[in-house]
Amino acid sequence: MGELRPHERKTLLVLKELGGKANVNQLTTKSGLSEAALMRAALVLQDQKLVEIRERKQTILTITQEGKIYAKKGLPERQLINVLLELKSEAPLKKVIKKAGLRENLVPIALGWLRRKGWAKPEKGYLKILKTPEKEGSDEKLLKLLGKKLSVIIENLDPEMKKAAELLKRRKLVEMNRKTVRTLEITRKGLNLIKRGVHAATEISQLTPEIIVSGKWRKAKLRKYNIKAPVAKTWPGKKHPYLRFIDEVKRKLVALGFKEMYGPLVELSFFNFDALFMPQDHPAREIFGIYFVKSPKHGNLSRYKKVVTKVKETHENGWKTGSKGWGYKYSVREASRLILRGHGTALSVRTLISKDLEIPGKYFSIARCYRPEVVDKTHLTEFNQVEGIVVDENITLRDLLGVLEKFAIEIAEADKVKFRPDYFPFTEPSVELSAYKEGYGWIEFGGSGIFRPEVTLPLGIKVPVIAWGLGIDRLFMMRAGIDDIRYVFTQDLDWIRRKGRI
Amino acid sequence: MPTIEIEYEDFERLLDVKLEKDMEKLDEILAFVKGEVKAFNEKEGILTVEIKDTNRPDLWNVEGLARTLRGFLGLEKGLKKYNVAGNSNVEVQVDKRLWKIRPYIACAVIRDLKLSDTIIRGIMRLQDKLDQTYGRNRRRTSIGLYNFNLIAPPLHYTVTKPTETNFAPLGFEQEMTLKEILEKHPKGLEYGSIVRRFDMYPILLDSKKNVLSFPPIINSNDLGKITTETRNVLVEVTGTVLETVLNTLNMVVFSLVDRGGKPYSTTIKYAYGTKKENIVTPAIKTSTMHLDIKYVNQVLGLKLTTKQVAELLKKARFDTEKRSNDSLLVCIPPYRIDIMHPIDLVEDVAIAYDYNNIQPLWRRLPTTGAITPQTELHDFAREIMIGMEFQEILTCTLTNKQSLFSKMNLKPEKIVEIANPKVQTLTCLRSWLLPSLMEFLSNNQHVEYPQKIFELGIVVVPDKRAETRTCEEQKLAAVITHAIAGFTEIKSVLDAFLAALNLKGQIEETVHPSFIDGRVGKIKIDKMDIGVIGEIHPKILEAWNLEKPVAAFEVNMSKIFRLSKLS
Repeated sequence: MGELRPHERKTLLVLKELGGKANVNQLTTKSGLSEAALMRAALVLQDQKLVEIRERKQTILTITQEGKIYAKKGLPERQLINVLLELKSEAPLKKVIKKAGLRENLVPIALGWLRRKGWAKPEKGYLKILKTPEKEGSDEKLLKLLGKKLSVIIENLDPEMKKAAELLKRRKLVEMNRKTVRTLEITRKGLNLIKRGVHAATEISQLTPEIIVSGKWRKAKLRKYNIKAPVAKTWPGKKHPYLRFIDEVKRKLVALGFKEMYGPLVELSFFNFDALFMPQDHPAREIFGIYFVKSPKHGNLSRYKKVVTKVKETHENGWKTGSKGWGYKYSVREASRLILRGHGTALSVRTLISKDLEIPGKYFSIARCYRPEVVDKTHLTEFNQVEGIVVDENITLRDLLGVLEKFAIEIAEADKVKFRPDYFPFTEPSVELSAYKEGYGWIEFGGSGIFRPEVTLPLGIKVPVIAWGLGIDRLFMMRAGIDDIRYVFTQDLDWIRRKGRI
Repeated sequence: MPTIEIEYEDFERLLDVKLEKDMEKLDEILAFVKGEVKAFNEKEGILTVEIKDTNRPDLWNVEGLARTLRGFLGLEKGLKKYNVAGNSNVEVQVDKRLWKIRPYIACAVIRDLKLSDTIIRGIMRLQDKLDQTYGRNRRRTSIGLYNFNLIAPPLHYTVTKPTETNFAPLGFEQEMTLKEILEKHPKGLEYGSIVRRFDMYPILLDSKKNVLSFPPIINSNDLGKITTETRNVLVEVTGTVLETVLNTLNMVVFSLVDRGGKPYSTTIKYAYGTKKENIVTPAIKTSTMHLDIKYVNQVLGLKLTTKQVAELLKKARFDTEKRSNDSLLVCIPPYRIDIMHPIDLVEDVAIAYDYNNIQPLWRRLPTTGAITPQTELHDFAREIMIGMEFQEILTCTLTNKQSLFSKMNLKPEKIVEIANPKVQTLTCLRSWLLPSLMEFLSNNQHVEYPQKIFELGIVVVPDKRAETRTCEEQKLAAVITHAIAGFTEIKSVLDAFLAALNLKGQIEETVHPSFIDGRVGKIKIDKMDIGVIGEIHPKILEAWNLEKPVAAFEVNMSKIFRLSKLS
């Protein structure tokens, strides 16, 4: 026995020097060891019953910025009463305030406390003294003390001062914080060990280049570590849990033959609504349904003149689509109104009119979208949509169901699927996909449909187009085991760090 | 999406079939009308149903739901006919001056009604739902119902000055002028904005100058009250679009007919322009549409025969006539205003066939999957940052000016602002990324240090030349914070980052109010400005309540993408 590692030896000896009992703070200061290193050593010493570690909760009282000012100048009620005493116990209120130089916003506070402390009260514009106050109340005593020391431990205060602390806390002049204080004390066994002499171990602890190169390691003994002892935490760099999940979805979509598309966040109403055959008085286009850009209000549609004309006619009378149209006067100006994209389908429209469109083609996007919603457990005002289209001459509703089933199985890892009729202004037929997963039951997983002829024909697309959107946030919540959608944009670093693979 | 309340027992009575009180089963039935059970209050017997279709006002009431579902449940098939029982001889004279205010009106008289409290509550719900949704909060249309026995025809739909006419509005005993109604009556306050800008307000009077209503605000308390004693009802719809007005009237009339009422027509006398014109309402017209069976099969991927399609359409409550071997003439009931194109009929065929009877098909199309080259670059950049032990974060692009500018010690610049923000903290799109990261740090002061975080995200700035008047750029920002975080540490990260992207960056001295003077630099590649690096100024740390030094950089990934394409 009598052999300890350098940190352990140092800790024990310093503790002895400090009178056999000291707190961690004193020990780190005296020994120069970091808190982590010291605690590791202390735990080993405790294992060997050489020291005892005691934990105590303490409440630390600290002074706030406002408290500091009063510690110097005196509490506002004290400032007033001092002036009043000088002015012979009764004086016009305004005069007292002016003479005391008290800021206006502090006057009600000062008057309130004068009354509560029973020192003075305002009456018909006069301030009247009620009793001569004691020279220094316990609250003022404590505040002065804090003004000098900045913090004290509440448990060390007498009962009167404790009461004063509560009072000052309510006035927001001080703050209280709980803290754990650890104290180390040498045991009899520890003292005996020091008496017998503590030797530094001859075993090698840290293997160094010098030991390796010189060959000293051949003769030395490499000491066994307590491999079960706790170590410092390391936080890896990693992807945001939600983005990692999105990356996985992207990978799967690419594997299914989908190409990523991209489009702007600030969008022309035309792409978000008009081209999708949503009439210009559709409720989704009101201020409760979409964010409008403040200024400039309108964008430039001149690049799309031809398409806009066809869309205009389709809205008004159906154009050549075989539809009746909506039968109203279409406004091109309204179509150029700038908004924040309300759904990813706007992007599909851009893809369909792009000269790079391939037929057959499969496209997807993970699009940031915006809607004027109040944020809560189930709603975000800014959110992501996973959307896509399939363009091909021969596709039918059966293909749409096939695509949906594939998603449910590949992406949601569902056991079975169910289809329900759905409604979107721009698709017909429209299908809602529900997926069943053991342990979760049936969940609504996405909406989809075949674009209406009133959508595709004016865009110059003569083949059917399947459009789908997946409820990706809901899927993420399910996978991550959370029930609050706000985690998508969480500000909680600790949660992100701790969240493992989902 | 319209949400409606229906009384369960009433619903069962109208369907004329006993349903199992199993919400899952009910959901399966409601699927035929794109409906879903949202809630069931068993104590009061109220079922709350969400109807997804915003283009089918005929489904937003219990009568319409039952009418359509009886078809899908196989209880009744084909078109349900609604015919006018006769002429009520009621005439409505329309004042020319309404042209710019609220030009159209349509009326019907329904006789021999036996109204229960349940039916009356149902009618009120239907009226309310149509006013709000199809009537665009009464701007486009609004509905009024009256006790016909108290009315002396002919009626006059005319205008009046705001202070000229008074009457007791629904729910009030005392008379008020129209101006007072707009100021005091709850409905006046709610809908007043529709008429307030005019000098004259619309008013509906009978021949004895009794006020029926002040459209679209409120009915009279005397004439506009329907009770279980009421046998004959006058329905009136006013609005700005004739077709919508006529459709709305039909929806109400059909519901009352389903309740046993007999509809009688009225004559509306218009004199807009130079010509006089009479319109008889309700205008109940069954329209027709050709349906090509090949088209049906082409869309659905099925091999249905003409006969099968006809049967399915009957289930969906249409009538059909065979025109040729592969074409049908479909008769569309007047309440199906959603049928705009044959594709709408095709969907009804598919619903009647049941989606779950259609075999899904997965075809391998010859397409190549790919992410964009930008995403590829971004993924690589993220990988490098993660390799350097940075935690990726994700924040909102919506923010506020205070975070973007004053808390970063910058003067406000032109940015993209929202005209209708929902909350004062989210009023604009971010123009740079660093403030989002500062906010994140400020929310994580209790979390273990050192903290190393980064985000790759979009920022938006105004750009007059662009079609959307904005320019969007991808940026990457990274910050390090701990007790001794500083310039050298972040610079070594930036060096490694650029090197991994095969870029040679130079740092040039610059002045930036968010950073400490002399510890901030522009990041340049081949004379192109791609970002900024430095130690955050204590003034900014104070503004975000941060107590530890922060070193940061922000680079423009869109520019880096363009550079990487050049090289």
